[in-house]
Amino acid sequence: MEMIKANNVGSMKLNDLELAMLRGDHGVAVKESIEFQIEVGSFFDAKEFVPITNAHVMGDIEVMGDGGLGILKKMSSSAAKCRVPTSSNARCMHFGDFDNLRADETEVQKERKLIGYLKDMNIAPTDTCINYQTVYQPKLGEHVAWGDTGTVIYANSVLGARTNYEGGKASFAAALTGRTPAYGFHLDECRKGTFLVKVDAQLNDFADWGALGKIVGHPHQDYFAVPVFEGIKEVPLSDSLKHLGASLASYGSLAMFHMVGITPEARTLSEAFKGDLPKESMTVKNADIEAIYSAYKYKDGANNIVVFSGPQLSLFEIQTLANLFKGRKVHKGMSAVITTNHAIYSDALRLGYIAELELAGVQILQGVCFYILQRLSEIRKENDWTNLISNSGKIVNTITAHKFNTVLRRTADCVDIACTGVLK
Amino acid sequence: MRRLIYVKRAHGASIEGEVLVMREGFSPRYDLDRISGIISRIGHSIEGESIHNKILVIPTVKGGVAGGWAFFDLIHKNISPKALVFGKLNPVMVQGAVLAGLTVTEGWSEDLLSILKNGDHVRIDPEKKMLEIFS
Repeated sequence: MEMIKANNVGSMKLNDLELAMLRGDHGVAVKESIEFQIEVGSFFDAKEFVPITNAHVMGDIEVMGDGGLGILKKMSSSAAKCRVPTSSNARCMHFGDFDNLRADETEVQKERKLIGYLKDMNIAPTDTCINYQTVYQPKLGEHVAWGDTGTVIYANSVLGARTNYEGGKASFAAALTGRTPAYGFHLDECRKGTFLVKVDAQLNDFADWGALGKIVGHPHQDYFAVPVFEGIKEVPLSDSLKHLGASLASYGSLAMFHMVGITPEARTLSEAFKGDLPKESMTVKNADIEAIYSAYKYKDGANNIVVFSGPQLSLFEIQTLANLFKGRKVHKGMSAVITTNHAIYSDALRLGYIAELELAGVQILQGVCFYILQRLSEIRKENDWTNLISNSGKIVNTITAHKFNTVLRRTADCVDIACTGVLK
Repeated sequence: MRRLIYVKRAHGASIEGEVLVMREGFSPRYDLDRISGIISRIGHSIEGESIHNKILVIPTVKGGVAGGWAFFDLIHKNISPKALVFGKLNPVMVQGAVLAGLTVTEGWSEDLLSILKNGDHVRIDPEKKMLEIFS
Protein backbone atom coordinates (compact mmCIF):
# COMPACT_ATOMS: atom_id res chain seq x y z
CA MET A 1 0.00 0.00 0.00
CA GLU A 2 1.34 3.38 -0.99
CA MET A 3 1.82 6.20 1.51
CA ILE A 4 -1.38 7.95 2.53
CA LYS A 5 -0.63 11.42 1.16
CA ALA A 6 -4.05 12.52 0.03
CA ASN A 7 -7.59 11.33 -0.51
CA ASN A 8 -6.52 9.39 -3.61
CA VAL A 9 -5.23 5.88 -2.98
CA GLY A 10 -4.79 3.46 -5.89
CA SER A 11 -7.55 4.38 -8.32
CA MET A 12 -9.88 5.41 -5.49
CA LYS A 13 -10.80 8.68 -3.83
CA LEU A 14 -11.49 8.18 -0.13
CA ASN A 15 -13.63 10.22 2.23
CA ASP A 16 -12.57 11.14 5.78
CA LEU A 17 -14.04 8.00 7.34
CA GLU A 18 -12.32 5.77 4.81
CA LEU A 19 -9.02 7.57 5.35
CA ALA A 20 -9.39 7.06 9.09
CA MET A 21 -9.99 3.35 8.48
CA LEU A 22 -6.88 3.23 6.31
CA ARG A 23 -4.78 4.96 8.98
CA GLY A 24 -5.82 2.30 11.48
CA ASP A 25 -8.06 4.53 13.61
CA HIS A 26 -10.75 1.80 13.58
CA GLY A 27 -8.43 -1.08 14.43
CA VAL A 28 -6.10 -3.37 12.55
CA ALA A 29 -8.79 -5.65 11.06
CA VAL A 30 -10.61 -2.70 9.51
CA LYS A 31 -7.32 -1.23 8.26
CA GLU A 32 -6.32 -4.53 6.60
CA SER A 33 -9.83 -4.90 5.19
CA ILE A 34 -9.90 -1.51 3.50
CA GLU A 35 -6.34 -1.97 2.20
CA PHE A 36 -7.50 -5.22 0.60
CA GLN A 37 -10.60 -3.57 -0.84
CA ILE A 38 -8.52 -0.74 -2.36
CA GLU A 39 -6.23 -3.26 -4.07
CA VAL A 40 -9.19 -5.13 -5.55
CA GLY A 41 -11.05 -1.91 -6.42
CA SER A 42 -8.00 -0.47 -8.15
CA PHE A 43 -7.69 -3.58 -10.35
CA PHE A 44 -11.15 -2.70 -11.70
CA ASP A 45 -10.37 1.03 -11.74
CA ALA A 46 -13.02 1.80 -9.10
CA LYS A 47 -13.17 5.53 -8.33
CA GLU A 48 -14.80 5.36 -4.90
CA PHE A 49 -16.45 3.23 -2.25
CA VAL A 50 -20.19 2.78 -1.99
CA PRO A 51 -21.83 2.24 1.43
CA ILE A 52 -23.65 -1.08 1.85
CA THR A 53 -26.63 -2.03 4.02
CA ASN A 54 -26.00 -5.76 4.29
CA ALA A 55 -23.22 -8.33 3.88
CA HIS A 56 -23.32 -12.09 3.34
CA VAL A 57 -20.04 -13.86 4.08
CA MET A 58 -18.77 -17.05 2.52
CA GLY A 59 -16.35 -19.17 4.48
CA ASP A 60 -16.17 -22.77 5.61
CA ILE A 61 -13.22 -24.92 6.57
CA GLU A 62 -13.41 -26.99 3.37
CA VAL A 63 -12.75 -24.00 1.13
CA MET A 64 -10.71 -21.68 3.37
CA GLY A 65 -8.46 -24.26 5.04
CA ASP A 66 -6.18 -23.55 7.98
CA GLY A 67 -4.84 -20.37 6.39
CA GLY A 68 -8.29 -18.82 6.04
CA LEU A 69 -9.21 -19.94 9.54
CA GLY A 70 -6.13 -18.08 10.77
CA ILE A 71 -7.33 -14.89 9.08
CA LEU A 72 -10.73 -15.13 10.77
CA LYS A 73 -9.10 -15.85 14.12
CA LYS A 74 -6.97 -12.73 13.75
CA MET A 75 -9.98 -10.64 12.72
CA SER A 76 -12.13 -11.78 15.62
CA SER A 77 -9.34 -11.52 18.21
CA SER A 78 -8.87 -7.87 17.27
CA ALA A 79 -12.44 -7.28 18.48
CA ALA A 80 -13.59 -6.35 14.96
CA LYS A 81 -17.37 -6.06 14.56
CA CYS A 82 -19.51 -5.85 11.44
CA ARG A 83 -20.72 -2.36 10.58
CA VAL A 84 -23.83 -3.73 8.82
CA PRO A 85 -26.18 -6.70 9.44
CA THR A 86 -24.32 -9.77 8.15
CA SER A 87 -25.35 -13.37 7.51
CA SER A 88 -23.29 -16.45 6.61
CA ASN A 89 -23.47 -18.78 3.64
CA ALA A 90 -24.04 -22.55 3.62
CA ARG A 91 -21.28 -24.53 5.26
CA CYS A 92 -19.49 -27.77 4.55
CA MET A 93 -20.80 -30.12 7.21
CA HIS A 94 -23.99 -31.15 8.95
CA PHE A 95 -23.59 -31.32 12.72
CA GLY A 96 -25.71 -34.43 13.06
CA ASP A 97 -25.58 -38.18 13.17
CA PHE A 98 -25.41 -39.25 9.52
CA ASP A 99 -22.48 -41.68 9.54
CA ASN A 100 -22.50 -42.07 5.76
CA LEU A 101 -21.92 -38.32 5.33
CA ARG A 102 -19.58 -37.69 8.24
CA ALA A 103 -16.86 -35.05 8.24
CA ASP A 104 -13.38 -35.51 9.71
CA GLU A 105 -13.51 -34.92 13.45
CA THR A 106 -10.54 -32.52 13.35
CA GLU A 107 -12.33 -30.46 10.67
CA VAL A 108 -15.56 -30.52 12.71
CA GLN A 109 -13.67 -28.91 15.58
CA LYS A 110 -12.22 -26.28 13.23
CA GLU A 111 -15.64 -25.54 11.72
CA ARG A 112 -17.06 -25.02 15.21
CA LYS A 113 -14.22 -22.60 15.98
CA LEU A 114 -14.90 -20.81 12.70
CA ILE A 115 -18.56 -20.34 13.61
CA GLY A 116 -17.43 -18.95 16.96
CA TYR A 117 -15.27 -16.37 15.18
CA LEU A 118 -18.28 -15.33 13.09
CA LYS A 119 -20.34 -14.82 16.24
CA ASP A 120 -17.50 -12.82 17.81
CA MET A 121 -17.68 -10.42 14.84
CA ASN A 122 -21.46 -10.15 15.24
CA ILE A 123 -22.13 -12.16 12.08
CA ALA A 124 -25.35 -14.19 12.25
CA PRO A 125 -24.39 -17.78 11.28
CA THR A 126 -27.52 -18.40 9.22
CA ASP A 127 -25.61 -20.95 7.11
CA THR A 128 -27.73 -20.37 4.07
CA CYS A 129 -27.36 -19.77 0.35
CA ILE A 130 -30.99 -18.60 0.14
CA ASN A 131 -30.66 -15.53 2.36
CA TYR A 132 -32.77 -13.66 -0.22
CA GLN A 133 -35.70 -15.97 0.54
CA THR A 134 -35.33 -16.29 4.29
CA VAL A 135 -33.10 -13.59 5.82
CA TYR A 136 -32.92 -10.25 4.00
CA GLN A 137 -34.40 -8.86 0.78
CA PRO A 138 -32.63 -5.67 -0.36
CA LYS A 139 -34.69 -3.20 -2.36
CA LEU A 140 -34.31 -1.77 -5.85
CA GLY A 141 -31.02 0.15 -6.06
CA GLU A 142 -29.80 -0.94 -2.61
CA HIS A 143 -26.07 -1.73 -2.43
CA VAL A 144 -25.04 -4.92 -0.62
CA ALA A 145 -21.95 -7.19 -0.58
CA TRP A 146 -22.87 -10.84 -0.95
CA GLY A 147 -20.49 -13.75 -1.09
CA ASP A 148 -22.32 -16.48 -2.98
CA THR A 149 -22.95 -16.54 -6.72
CA GLY A 150 -26.58 -17.65 -6.51
CA THR A 151 -27.36 -14.94 -3.97
CA VAL A 152 -25.62 -12.30 -6.10
CA ILE A 153 -27.47 -13.06 -9.32
CA TYR A 154 -30.81 -13.19 -7.48
CA ALA A 155 -30.13 -9.85 -5.75
CA ASN A 156 -29.08 -8.08 -8.95
CA SER A 157 -31.72 -9.58 -11.21
CA VAL A 158 -34.87 -10.30 -9.23
CA LEU A 159 -34.58 -7.68 -6.49
CA GLY A 160 -32.78 -4.96 -8.45
CA ALA A 161 -30.24 -4.63 -5.64
CA ARG A 162 -26.56 -4.10 -6.47
CA THR A 163 -23.68 -6.42 -5.67
CA ASN A 164 -20.64 -8.07 -7.19
CA TYR A 165 -19.41 -11.54 -6.32
CA GLU A 166 -17.65 -10.94 -2.99
CA GLY A 167 -15.56 -14.08 -2.46
CA GLY A 168 -13.47 -15.08 0.53
CA LYS A 169 -11.99 -12.19 2.46
CA ALA A 170 -13.86 -9.67 0.27
CA SER A 171 -17.22 -10.36 1.92
CA PHE A 172 -15.70 -10.12 5.41
CA ALA A 173 -13.86 -6.92 4.50
CA ALA A 174 -17.12 -5.36 3.28
CA ALA A 175 -18.88 -6.42 6.50
CA LEU A 176 -16.16 -4.80 8.64
CA THR A 177 -15.87 -1.55 6.66
CA GLY A 178 -19.57 -1.26 5.72
CA ARG A 179 -18.67 -0.46 2.12
CA THR A 180 -17.34 -1.95 -1.07
CA PRO A 181 -15.50 -0.59 -4.12
CA ALA A 182 -17.90 0.83 -6.73
CA TYR A 183 -17.23 -1.22 -9.86
CA GLY A 184 -19.11 -3.84 -11.85
CA PHE A 185 -22.77 -4.30 -10.93
CA HIS A 186 -22.80 -1.34 -8.55
CA LEU A 187 -22.60 0.88 -11.66
CA ASP A 188 -25.46 1.62 -14.09
CA GLU A 189 -23.37 0.89 -17.18
CA CYS A 190 -22.71 -2.74 -16.21
CA ARG A 191 -26.38 -3.48 -15.61
CA LYS A 192 -27.69 -3.20 -19.13
CA GLY A 193 -28.51 -6.29 -21.15
CA THR A 194 -25.81 -7.55 -23.51
CA PHE A 195 -27.71 -10.26 -25.41
CA LEU A 196 -31.28 -11.38 -26.03
CA VAL A 197 -32.71 -14.82 -25.22
CA LYS A 198 -36.09 -15.53 -26.81
CA VAL A 199 -37.78 -18.27 -24.80
CA ASP A 200 -40.15 -20.38 -26.87
CA ALA A 201 -40.31 -23.30 -24.46
CA GLN A 202 -42.45 -24.64 -21.65
CA LEU A 203 -40.66 -24.39 -18.32
CA ASN A 204 -42.70 -26.53 -15.94
CA ASP A 205 -40.11 -27.76 -13.49
CA PHE A 206 -37.16 -26.29 -11.59
CA ALA A 207 -34.92 -28.58 -13.63
CA ASP A 208 -36.24 -26.93 -16.83
CA TRP A 209 -35.15 -23.56 -15.46
CA GLY A 210 -31.75 -25.01 -14.63
CA ALA A 211 -31.51 -26.44 -18.15
CA LEU A 212 -32.31 -22.99 -19.54
CA GLY A 213 -29.49 -21.60 -17.39
CA LYS A 214 -27.08 -24.15 -18.83
CA ILE A 215 -28.13 -23.46 -22.43
CA VAL A 216 -27.57 -19.73 -21.95
CA GLY A 217 -24.70 -19.71 -19.44
CA HIS A 218 -22.38 -22.34 -20.88
CA PRO A 219 -21.64 -20.48 -24.15
CA HIS A 220 -21.42 -17.13 -22.33
CA GLN A 221 -18.72 -17.60 -19.71
CA ASP A 222 -18.34 -13.90 -19.05
CA TYR A 223 -19.04 -12.20 -15.71
CA PHE A 224 -20.11 -9.00 -17.45
CA ALA A 225 -22.55 -10.66 -19.88
CA VAL A 226 -26.19 -9.89 -19.00
CA PRO A 227 -28.84 -11.99 -20.78
CA VAL A 228 -32.31 -10.54 -21.35
CA PHE A 229 -35.04 -13.18 -21.39
CA GLU A 230 -38.09 -12.44 -23.47
CA GLY A 231 -41.19 -14.56 -23.99
CA ILE A 232 -41.70 -15.94 -20.47
CA LYS A 233 -45.47 -16.35 -20.49
CA GLU A 234 -46.27 -16.90 -16.82
CA VAL A 235 -44.86 -15.10 -13.80
CA PRO A 236 -42.15 -17.45 -12.50
CA LEU A 237 -41.98 -18.56 -8.87
CA SER A 238 -39.16 -17.29 -6.70
CA ASP A 239 -37.83 -20.88 -6.64
CA SER A 240 -37.85 -21.02 -10.46
CA LEU A 241 -35.78 -17.83 -10.70
CA LYS A 242 -33.53 -19.20 -7.96
CA HIS A 243 -32.75 -22.29 -10.07
CA LEU A 244 -32.29 -20.24 -13.24
CA GLY A 245 -29.94 -17.79 -11.53
CA ALA A 246 -27.90 -20.48 -9.79
CA SER A 247 -27.45 -22.31 -13.09
CA LEU A 248 -26.49 -19.16 -15.04
CA ALA A 249 -23.97 -18.25 -12.34
CA SER A 250 -22.56 -21.75 -12.28
CA TYR A 251 -22.16 -22.38 -16.02
CA GLY A 252 -21.44 -18.83 -17.11
CA SER A 253 -20.18 -17.05 -14.01
CA LEU A 254 -22.98 -14.60 -14.76
CA ALA A 255 -24.09 -12.13 -12.08
CA MET A 256 -27.23 -10.62 -13.57
CA PHE A 257 -30.10 -11.27 -15.97
CA HIS A 258 -33.20 -9.39 -16.98
CA MET A 259 -36.62 -10.88 -17.72
CA VAL A 260 -38.88 -8.57 -19.67
CA GLY A 261 -42.03 -7.71 -17.76
CA ILE A 262 -40.86 -9.69 -14.72
CA THR A 263 -37.67 -8.24 -13.21
CA PRO A 264 -37.58 -4.65 -11.95
CA GLU A 265 -35.06 -3.14 -14.35
CA ALA A 266 -36.71 -4.67 -17.44
CA ARG A 267 -40.27 -3.37 -17.57
CA THR A 268 -39.74 -3.26 -21.34
CA LEU A 269 -37.19 -4.75 -23.73
CA SER A 270 -35.86 -1.27 -24.40
CA GLU A 271 -35.34 -0.58 -20.70
CA ALA A 272 -33.43 -3.86 -20.29
CA PHE A 273 -30.99 -2.81 -23.04
CA LYS A 274 -31.05 0.84 -21.87
CA GLY A 275 -32.16 1.94 -25.32
CA ASP A 276 -29.47 0.00 -27.24
CA LEU A 277 -30.15 -2.86 -29.63
CA PRO A 278 -29.03 -6.34 -28.58
CA LYS A 279 -25.75 -7.33 -30.23
CA GLU A 280 -26.64 -11.00 -30.14
CA SER A 281 -29.81 -13.02 -30.02
CA MET A 282 -30.60 -16.68 -29.36
CA THR A 283 -33.82 -18.69 -29.18
CA VAL A 284 -34.49 -21.55 -26.78
CA LYS A 285 -37.16 -24.09 -27.78
CA ASN A 286 -38.62 -27.17 -26.09
CA ALA A 287 -36.29 -29.36 -28.16
CA ASP A 288 -33.27 -27.53 -26.73
CA ILE A 289 -34.48 -28.24 -23.18
CA GLU A 290 -35.12 -31.90 -24.01
CA ALA A 291 -31.66 -32.17 -25.60
CA ILE A 292 -30.12 -31.14 -22.29
CA TYR A 293 -31.82 -34.05 -20.50
CA SER A 294 -30.98 -36.60 -23.18
CA ALA A 295 -27.28 -35.60 -23.18
CA TYR A 296 -26.86 -36.92 -19.63
CA LYS A 297 -25.95 -40.63 -19.69
CA TYR A 298 -25.99 -43.04 -16.78
CA LYS A 299 -23.02 -45.18 -15.91
CA ASP A 300 -23.31 -48.72 -14.54
CA GLY A 301 -23.29 -48.71 -10.78
CA ALA A 302 -25.06 -50.61 -8.03
CA ASN A 303 -25.41 -47.59 -5.76
CA ASN A 304 -26.59 -44.13 -6.72
CA ILE A 305 -27.81 -40.98 -5.04
CA VAL A 306 -30.60 -38.47 -5.68
CA VAL A 307 -29.80 -34.99 -4.34
CA PHE A 308 -32.08 -32.00 -3.84
CA SER A 309 -29.67 -29.16 -3.08
CA GLY A 310 -27.74 -26.31 -4.70
CA PRO A 311 -29.36 -23.95 -3.77
CA GLN A 312 -30.82 -25.03 -0.44
CA LEU A 313 -34.53 -25.83 -0.61
CA SER A 314 -37.30 -23.40 0.28
CA LEU A 315 -40.23 -24.41 2.46
CA PHE A 316 -42.40 -24.89 -0.62
CA GLU A 317 -39.84 -27.11 -2.33
CA ILE A 318 -39.70 -29.28 0.80
CA GLN A 319 -43.50 -29.35 0.99
CA THR A 320 -43.62 -30.57 -2.62
CA LEU A 321 -41.07 -33.30 -1.94
CA ALA A 322 -42.88 -34.38 1.23
CA ASN A 323 -46.00 -34.89 -0.88
CA LEU A 324 -44.11 -36.75 -3.61
CA PHE A 325 -42.32 -39.07 -1.16
CA LYS A 326 -45.45 -39.67 0.97
CA GLY A 327 -46.13 -43.37 1.43
CA ARG A 328 -43.03 -44.40 -0.53
CA LYS A 329 -39.57 -45.66 0.44
CA VAL A 330 -36.13 -44.90 -0.92
CA HIS A 331 -35.15 -48.03 -2.86
CA LYS A 332 -32.31 -50.39 -1.98
CA GLY A 333 -29.11 -49.19 -3.59
CA MET A 334 -30.44 -45.63 -3.74
CA SER A 335 -29.86 -42.73 -1.37
CA ALA A 336 -31.82 -39.49 -1.23
CA VAL A 337 -30.60 -36.27 0.36
CA ILE A 338 -32.15 -32.83 0.82
CA THR A 339 -30.30 -29.77 2.12
CA THR A 340 -31.85 -26.64 3.56
CA ASN A 341 -31.08 -23.98 6.14
CA HIS A 342 -31.87 -24.06 9.87
CA ALA A 343 -34.86 -21.71 9.57
CA ILE A 344 -36.63 -23.73 6.86
CA TYR A 345 -35.79 -27.00 8.62
CA SER A 346 -37.40 -25.79 11.85
CA ASP A 347 -40.59 -24.83 10.08
CA ALA A 348 -40.65 -28.00 7.97
CA LEU A 349 -40.24 -29.99 11.19
CA ARG A 350 -43.14 -28.12 12.81
CA LEU A 351 -45.33 -28.73 9.78
CA GLY A 352 -44.61 -32.47 9.58
CA TYR A 353 -42.74 -32.40 6.25
CA ILE A 354 -39.50 -33.62 7.83
CA ALA A 355 -41.25 -36.60 9.45
CA GLU A 356 -42.84 -37.54 6.12
CA LEU A 357 -39.52 -37.39 4.32
CA GLU A 358 -37.61 -39.26 7.02
CA LEU A 359 -40.25 -41.98 7.01
CA ALA A 360 -39.48 -42.45 3.32
CA GLY A 361 -35.77 -42.72 4.10
CA VAL A 362 -34.68 -39.30 2.90
CA GLN A 363 -31.74 -37.70 4.74
CA ILE A 364 -32.15 -33.98 5.45
CA LEU A 365 -29.04 -31.91 6.07
CA GLN A 366 -29.18 -28.53 7.79
CA GLY A 367 -27.07 -25.46 7.05
CA VAL A 368 -25.08 -27.08 4.25
CA CYS A 369 -25.01 -27.43 0.51
CA PHE A 370 -24.28 -30.94 -0.74
CA TYR A 371 -21.55 -30.15 -3.25
CA ILE A 372 -19.36 -28.35 -0.70
CA LEU A 373 -19.40 -31.16 1.91
CA GLN A 374 -16.02 -31.69 3.54
CA ARG A 375 -14.30 -34.93 2.32
CA LEU A 376 -16.98 -35.43 -0.36
CA SER A 377 -14.72 -37.48 -2.64
CA GLU A 378 -14.16 -39.97 0.21
CA ILE A 379 -17.86 -39.95 1.07
CA ARG A 380 -18.64 -40.86 -2.56
CA LYS A 381 -16.19 -43.75 -2.46
CA GLU A 382 -17.35 -45.03 0.95
CA ASN A 383 -20.97 -45.09 -0.25
CA ASP A 384 -19.93 -46.53 -3.62
CA TRP A 385 -22.09 -43.97 -5.42
CA THR A 386 -21.73 -43.83 -9.20
CA ASN A 387 -24.56 -41.64 -10.52
CA LEU A 388 -25.79 -38.47 -8.85
CA ILE A 389 -29.25 -37.50 -10.05
CA SER A 390 -30.65 -34.05 -9.27
CA ASN A 391 -33.25 -31.51 -10.34
CA SER A 392 -30.61 -28.79 -9.80
CA GLY A 393 -28.92 -27.57 -12.98
CA LYS A 394 -26.26 -26.10 -10.75
CA ILE A 395 -25.30 -29.13 -8.72
CA VAL A 396 -24.90 -31.43 -11.73
CA ASN A 397 -22.19 -28.97 -12.82
CA THR A 398 -20.51 -27.99 -9.57
CA ILE A 399 -19.91 -31.42 -8.11
CA THR A 400 -17.88 -32.87 -10.93
CA ALA A 401 -14.44 -32.41 -9.30
CA HIS A 402 -15.53 -35.25 -6.99
CA LYS A 403 -16.01 -37.60 -9.96
CA PHE A 404 -19.73 -38.22 -9.63
CA ASN A 405 -21.47 -39.05 -12.92
CA THR A 406 -24.21 -36.44 -12.84
CA VAL A 407 -27.66 -36.57 -14.42
CA LEU A 408 -30.25 -33.78 -14.54
CA ARG A 409 -33.86 -34.89 -14.18
CA ARG A 410 -37.19 -33.23 -13.35
CA THR A 411 -38.34 -33.20 -9.72
CA ALA A 412 -40.98 -35.94 -9.88
CA ASP A 413 -38.64 -38.12 -11.96
CA CYS A 414 -35.94 -37.69 -9.31
CA VAL A 415 -38.36 -38.93 -6.65
CA ASP A 416 -39.40 -41.89 -8.84
CA ILE A 417 -35.76 -42.79 -9.44
CA ALA A 418 -35.05 -42.61 -5.69
CA CYS A 419 -38.03 -44.84 -4.87
CA THR A 420 -37.75 -47.40 -7.69
CA GLY A 421 -34.03 -47.55 -8.36
CA VAL A 422 -34.85 -47.42 -12.08
CA LEU A 423 -32.47 -44.97 -13.74
CA LYS A 424 -34.76 -43.37 -16.27
CA MET B 1 13.36 -15.17 -29.77
CA ARG B 2 10.83 -13.38 -27.60
CA ARG B 3 7.32 -12.12 -28.17
CA LEU B 4 5.38 -9.49 -26.25
CA ILE B 5 1.69 -9.67 -25.41
CA TYR B 6 -0.12 -6.89 -23.58
CA VAL B 7 -2.78 -7.41 -20.90
CA LYS B 8 -5.64 -5.08 -20.02
CA ARG B 9 -5.40 -5.20 -16.23
CA ALA B 10 -2.75 -6.58 -13.88
CA HIS B 11 -1.89 -6.84 -10.21
CA GLY B 12 1.01 -8.30 -8.28
CA ALA B 13 4.73 -8.85 -8.55
CA SER B 14 6.76 -9.48 -11.68
CA ILE B 15 7.19 -13.22 -12.09
CA GLU B 16 8.34 -15.82 -14.61
CA GLY B 17 7.80 -19.51 -15.11
CA GLU B 18 6.26 -22.34 -17.13
CA VAL B 19 2.71 -22.07 -18.37
CA LEU B 20 -0.14 -24.56 -18.15
CA VAL B 21 -2.79 -23.67 -20.71
CA MET B 22 -6.47 -24.39 -20.13
CA ARG B 23 -8.85 -24.47 -23.08
CA GLU B 24 -12.02 -23.77 -21.11
CA GLY B 25 -13.32 -21.86 -18.10
CA PHE B 26 -11.84 -22.64 -14.70
CA SER B 27 -13.16 -22.94 -11.18
CA PRO B 28 -10.92 -24.18 -8.35
CA ARG B 29 -13.98 -25.84 -6.84
CA TYR B 30 -15.42 -27.54 -9.92
CA ASP B 31 -12.20 -28.58 -11.59
CA LEU B 32 -9.42 -28.96 -9.03
CA ASP B 33 -8.58 -31.55 -6.38
CA ARG B 34 -7.56 -29.05 -3.70
CA ILE B 35 -5.72 -31.73 -1.70
CA SER B 36 -3.30 -32.75 -4.46
CA GLY B 37 -3.36 -29.67 -6.70
CA ILE B 38 -4.26 -31.86 -9.69
CA ILE B 39 -7.05 -31.00 -12.15
CA SER B 40 -9.62 -33.70 -11.40
CA ARG B 41 -12.66 -32.81 -13.49
CA ILE B 42 -13.31 -35.62 -15.96
CA GLY B 43 -12.76 -34.33 -19.49
CA HIS B 44 -11.03 -31.08 -18.52
CA SER B 45 -8.41 -30.06 -21.09
CA ILE B 46 -5.60 -30.49 -18.54
CA GLU B 47 -7.17 -33.29 -16.48
CA GLY B 48 -4.46 -35.03 -14.45
CA GLU B 49 -2.00 -32.10 -14.55
CA SER B 50 -0.68 -30.43 -11.41
CA ILE B 51 -1.09 -26.66 -11.19
CA HIS B 52 1.69 -26.36 -8.60
CA ASN B 53 4.24 -23.68 -9.46
CA LYS B 54 2.73 -23.12 -12.91
CA ILE B 55 1.55 -19.90 -14.53
CA LEU B 56 -2.03 -20.77 -15.41
CA VAL B 57 -3.34 -19.43 -18.72
CA ILE B 58 -7.13 -19.48 -18.47
CA PRO B 59 -9.52 -18.14 -21.14
CA THR B 60 -12.41 -17.49 -18.76
CA VAL B 61 -14.09 -18.47 -15.49
CA LYS B 62 -16.92 -20.68 -14.25
CA GLY B 63 -18.82 -20.23 -11.00
CA GLY B 64 -17.98 -19.41 -8.22
CA VAL B 65 -16.91 -17.71 -5.01
CA ALA B 66 -14.63 -20.55 -3.93
CA GLY B 67 -11.61 -18.88 -5.51
CA GLY B 68 -11.87 -16.14 -2.89
CA TRP B 69 -10.35 -18.48 -0.31
CA ALA B 70 -9.06 -21.35 -2.43
CA PHE B 71 -5.83 -19.77 -3.74
CA PHE B 72 -4.78 -18.74 -0.21
CA ASP B 73 -5.49 -22.31 0.91
CA LEU B 74 -3.38 -23.68 -1.95
CA ILE B 75 -0.47 -21.46 -0.84
CA HIS B 76 -0.75 -22.94 2.67
CA LYS B 77 -0.76 -26.46 1.25
CA ASN B 78 2.26 -25.63 -0.93
CA ILE B 79 0.43 -26.59 -4.13
CA SER B 80 -0.34 -23.11 -5.42
CA PRO B 81 0.14 -21.90 -8.98
CA LYS B 82 2.62 -19.05 -9.56
CA ALA B 83 0.26 -16.69 -11.34
CA LEU B 84 -3.10 -16.46 -13.13
CA VAL B 85 -3.31 -15.10 -16.67
CA PHE B 86 -6.99 -14.74 -17.58
CA GLY B 87 -8.66 -13.84 -20.83
CA LYS B 88 -11.79 -12.86 -18.91
CA LEU B 89 -12.23 -13.08 -15.17
CA ASN B 90 -14.69 -12.34 -12.40
CA PRO B 91 -13.95 -10.34 -9.22
CA VAL B 92 -13.50 -13.51 -7.14
CA MET B 93 -10.33 -14.41 -9.02
CA VAL B 94 -8.89 -10.97 -8.25
CA GLN B 95 -10.05 -11.12 -4.62
CA GLY B 96 -8.50 -14.59 -4.28
CA ALA B 97 -5.25 -13.62 -5.98
CA VAL B 98 -4.82 -10.44 -3.90
CA LEU B 99 -5.39 -12.41 -0.68
CA ALA B 100 -2.92 -15.11 -1.75
CA GLY B 101 -0.35 -12.63 -3.07
CA LEU B 102 -0.53 -14.16 -6.56
CA THR B 103 0.05 -12.14 -9.71
CA VAL B 104 -3.16 -11.89 -11.74
CA THR B 105 -3.89 -10.39 -15.16
CA GLU B 106 -6.92 -10.00 -17.44
CA GLY B 107 -7.31 -9.45 -21.17
CA TRP B 108 -4.91 -10.39 -23.97
CA SER B 109 -3.79 -8.27 -26.94
CA GLU B 110 -3.50 -11.56 -28.89
CA ASP B 111 -5.10 -14.97 -28.38
CA LEU B 112 -2.76 -16.75 -25.98
CA LEU B 113 -4.49 -20.08 -26.54
CA SER B 114 -3.21 -20.16 -30.12
CA ILE B 115 0.27 -18.92 -29.17
CA LEU B 116 1.18 -20.81 -25.99
CA LYS B 117 1.51 -24.50 -25.28
CA ASN B 118 2.11 -26.26 -21.97
CA GLY B 119 5.69 -25.86 -20.78
CA ASP B 120 6.40 -22.60 -22.60
CA HIS B 121 8.32 -20.06 -20.54
CA VAL B 122 6.89 -16.58 -19.92
CA ARG B 123 7.54 -13.53 -17.78
CA ILE B 124 4.74 -11.28 -16.49
CA ASP B 125 5.41 -7.61 -15.79
CA PRO B 126 2.24 -6.24 -14.14
CA GLU B 127 3.66 -2.71 -13.97
CA LYS B 128 3.98 -2.56 -17.76
CA LYS B 129 0.90 -4.77 -18.28
CA MET B 130 3.08 -7.00 -20.39
CA LEU B 131 3.64 -10.70 -20.88
CA GLU B 132 6.91 -11.79 -22.46
CA ILE B 133 7.08 -15.17 -24.17
CA PHE B 134 10.46 -16.91 -24.54
CA SER B 135 10.89 -19.64 -27.09
